[in-house]
Amino acid sequence: MTLHRSLFLVLGALTIAVTPPGASAQEPLFERDVLPVLTKQCLGCHGGLRQKGGLDMRTMPLLLKGGKHGPAAKPGDADTSLLWQRIASDEMPPGETKLSAAEKALIKQWITKGLRTETKKDEDAHLTPGVKHDPKEVAAAIDKHIQQRLTALKLDAAPGSDDVEFLRRVTLDLNGCVPTAQEAAAFLDSKAPDKRAQLIDKLLASPRFGEQLGRTWREWICPPELPSDMNGGAQPHKQAFAFGDWIGKQITKGATWDKIVRDILTVDGQIKDNPHVIFYSLVGEGGKATPDGSARATASFFLGVQMQCAQCHDDPYRNWAQNEFWALAAFFGRTQGDFNTVTDGKAPPNMSKRGPKLPVAKGAEIVIPPSAFKNSGKAVQAAFLGSKSIDLAVEKPLRPVLADWVTAKENPYFAKAFANRTWFYFFARGLVNPVDDLRELNPPSHPGLLKMLGNEFAASGFDVKHLVRSICNSETYQRTSRASVKQDRQAIAAQTAAFGRMPVRVMTADVLYDSLRQVYGDPKLDLRADDAKGAAAMGQAAQIADPYIEFLRRFGTNEDDATDFTHGIPQMLTMINHPRLLSGSKALDAFRKTNPTPEHTVEWLYLSTLARRPSASEREAAAKYLANSQNSYVGVLWMLVNRSEFLFVR
Amino acid sequence: MAMPLLHRRDLLRLSAAGLLSGVSVPWFEALAHASVGRPRGKACILLWMDGGPSQQHTFDPKPGGQFRAAPTAVPGIHIVEQLPQLGQCMRDMVLLRSMRTEINDHYDAKYLLHTGYRRAPGFEHPAVGCIASHQLAAPNSDMPAFVTIDAGYDLRLDGGRSYRNVPGYLGPQHTPLAVNDPARGLENLRAAGNDLAARLELLAAGERGFSEEYALPNVNARQAAFDRAVRLMRSPRARAFDVEAEPARMREAYGNHRFGQSCLLARRLVEAGVSFVEVFHRGWDDHDGAARNMAQRAPWLDRAMATLIRDLKDRGMLDDTLIIWMGEFGRTPGNGDGHFCNAWSTMWAGGGMRTGQVIGRTSETGRNPGGTIEERPISAVDYMATLCLALGMNIRQDFQAPGQRPVPMVDHAAQPLRELLS
Repeated sequence: MTLHRSLFLVLGALTIAVTPPGASAQEPLFERDVLPVLTKQCLGCHGGLRQKGGLDMRTMPLLLKGGKHGPAAKPGDADTSLLWQRIASDEMPPGETKLSAAEKALIKQWITKGLRTETKKDEDAHLTPGVKHDPKEVAAAIDKHIQQRLTALKLDAAPGSDDVEFLRRVTLDLNGCVPTAQEAAAFLDSKAPDKRAQLIDKLLASPRFGEQLGRTWREWICPPELPSDMNGGAQPHKQAFAFGDWIGKQITKGATWDKIVRDILTVDGQIKDNPHVIFYSLVGEGGKATPDGSARATASFFLGVQMQCAQCHDDPYRNWAQNEFWALAAFFGRTQGDFNTVTDGKAPPNMSKRGPKLPVAKGAEIVIPPSAFKNSGKAVQAAFLGSKSIDLAVEKPLRPVLADWVTAKENPYFAKAFANRTWFYFFARGLVNPVDDLRELNPPSHPGLLKMLGNEFAASGFDVKHLVRSICNSETYQRTSRASVKQDRQAIAAQTAAFGRMPVRVMTADVLYDSLRQVYGDPKLDLRADDAKGAAAMGQAAQIADPYIEFLRRFGTNEDDATDFTHGIPQMLTMINHPRLLSGSKALDAFRKTNPTPEHTVEWLYLSTLARRPSASEREAAAKYLANSQNSYVGVLWMLVNRSEFLFVR
Repeated sequence: MAMPLLHRRDLLRLSAAGLLSGVSVPWFEALAHASVGRPRGKACILLWMDGGPSQQHTFDPKPGGQFRAAPTAVPGIHIVEQLPQLGQCMRDMVLLRSMRTEINDHYDAKYLLHTGYRRAPGFEHPAVGCIASHQLAAPNSDMPAFVTIDAGYDLRLDGGRSYRNVPGYLGPQHTPLAVNDPARGLENLRAAGNDLAARLELLAAGERGFSEEYALPNVNARQAAFDRAVRLMRSPRARAFDVEAEPARMREAYGNHRFGQSCLLARRLVEAGVSFVEVFHRGWDDHDGAARNMAQRAPWLDRAMATLIRDLKDRGMLDDTLIIWMGEFGRTPGNGDGHFCNAWSTMWAGGGMRTGQVIGRTSETGRNPGGTIEERPISAVDYMATLCLALGMNIRQDFQAPGQRPVPMVDHAAQPLRELLS
């Protein structure tokens, strides 16, 4: 959390300190300086929801057009500008809070200097929209976008990664597990000039790529506490895991993202044939599908927009009206779902359990329930986001109609939302942050890049591997994450925030568990407290789950920021003292059967965990330790899995 | 309160014996300077009776009820005769007899009484113990700020799914440390294998190299957390997790029951600097009536809680330690066979409050004695606000939830029980 905040501060400082081309450092710009003040002070009444006096102040053209009293501002002339007159006299804003002296000075200067806006240069997408390009071309375009911004910010890019950094990073990112000793040695020793591109292709072709993508999406979609009400008090972990596996298998089968989302949005039937049935009860309430839960999740995960606030009231920060939220929810109005089944009924389910009786919704309508606080009882017609309500035949199933709109190439959100999430997955920051908050007032850091990635993803027919292959082949992804103690902290943070250097991320619980299972050669690796087995006898059966779920609970990371180190004493004590981590590795035993020398064994251990060979001093230290501990190789393994270098994706 | 605090000198001495011997690591100096401070507010021991205990069989007996009322050390205040030792502690206790919390469903009520908020889809509010960890914990302490202790169950395991304390948007570092069995203490605290020192030494050189090459906040944070864990293993304060270290006489005073040993462990942890301890005991959902079950529970409950109050008082810690006994709701007036959130009781003790009083009153007569509140209804947010204030927090502050959404620590509608706070 604090890391988040300090990053914002650094970014904030950066935007102010940096001079955009064509403007002096002191000249205020509309987007960068003025819009934040207007958002805070003015847009509540002169924005997307209300346009008092006919005035909408969200964009420059709208400001110049003005309201019923005329244009809001005249370039170069503050005194005759209505905007300045009203705020200078404190006539506006009408409430108790007025603009501060600094805010007023900023607005006045902005008008006097001629209403400058940011140059729109980097909104150019560089690649032709509507055409699929070679991944190498896309990668080069990515680098061009990033470099443009770095130049504007007067920042250097970090050097490229070495082979070890790249090998370990790309294997963890694409296959969710450290490379084996054999894989590591093969890559490091290869002299092929295109060995990095080859490795990316190999990892993408592995079923583990789908698996890793599936469980990443499962983590994003599943709430921290799963519903249990319809499951005899037990949480539907199995069903949630099966849902992640299902996504993974679709990817492995070659399904495109629009196909996967369409399947989720239109699923009808039993969970035994359709693991994605669980989506609706996971995002619903009390283990049941709800229209509002389905709408919220569709907006956040597939369209990249946050609508949770608009559920109960018009959202002044995002310009979503409450009506728009419920118009989206109306598509799910007839959907009934629990842990076993999802199907569309004839009539919308009654959403008011105990409250007052509501009017019955007709056709493609939904009636806002009392839980929404405002406008309860109002009927809202189904409509796509940002458009007028549509005429739908009552008999026609509604969800396929929504799925058509969501997954269309022309949908303004769908491709960008996936591209932004994918970028966030690799770089720990989206091009738009928060990752599901795409909107005009929260512009991307690299508008042209996001536009290009969206275009390319759509043009490829929503081919997930094409997008990932393009990103991983870029220099941007292949830069080092090294940050020497001699370098300036702030400069490093700025460079990383501008994607001029790779961040160092924390392995997710899934990736850490798989990596430990691989190096210990133990598919059922159990790191629960050693009394867990006896727990059932003491009545803790409901508390302590299987080894995998308990591991996920314990080693969970910060979903919003993969760089945030979140482990505390319990995790550290588990790694330091759990007897299992000292009681031998089947993978190590199998290697020892080949009668390797002690030096070879140490090298094998380093390759298996850190994907590199030990340095001379590391060899020496290991030899010294082994001599004093009766050749306890597992002690060396313990040391390696306890290294920071093991836990971090560098 | 008397606390065996470690001083910077001790820290340096401890570290010199261990992982960092002969190695100068920049983050370690910073830690040693910060030393181990005191928690910034009062401590809390929450005794959670999962499933919902009956108020009429404990702290709000009624004429003609199944359990008889008995006088206590405070004239005019009566509790059931099955809890005689607690009756003697009444001067240090406050009874809140007018809880009205609106939810009769186990899990939703547990959520409400742990967070001060109704459960909302797609959103997790932080539990009060996590809030205490966020607000009160001493920086860089080698003790965790929030510990939960599983006191098991006796008669049956029902009462719905257990609530797991979730820190939500406060961050995973405020997740509680769980003790699954008070007799065993903290899991993984003792070293496995006999060559820990040699392995730590082997580790230290590599760690130093990595932190020079990757001098980043998260790498530093991990190495600091690792060091805290090693310090905890070596710290005399970690002995707090070991109830065996307590004199036999004291262990017996708390009672052999697992709940009593959990209370003793809670006291040891608070003494060592932990801010919030939640002891949970399950199986209080007495759908066959509360009388028979309560008669079996009363002896160990009475003994453990009264001993806890007296022990804290003897050590001069009672004014700085708030004890709360409660469940997610009460039980129906009469035989207590159903859930009842309209009028139920919680017991508070110590914490420097104005003790020796009763707050709120339920009906004494009519068709359903105890079924309605006649004075000062206490809502879940009133309760939460009072608890946070009693621990020394500023309740008028917002946390930042995802989506740039400010969420107040406690709902602004709260009316804290000012008559309780001195």
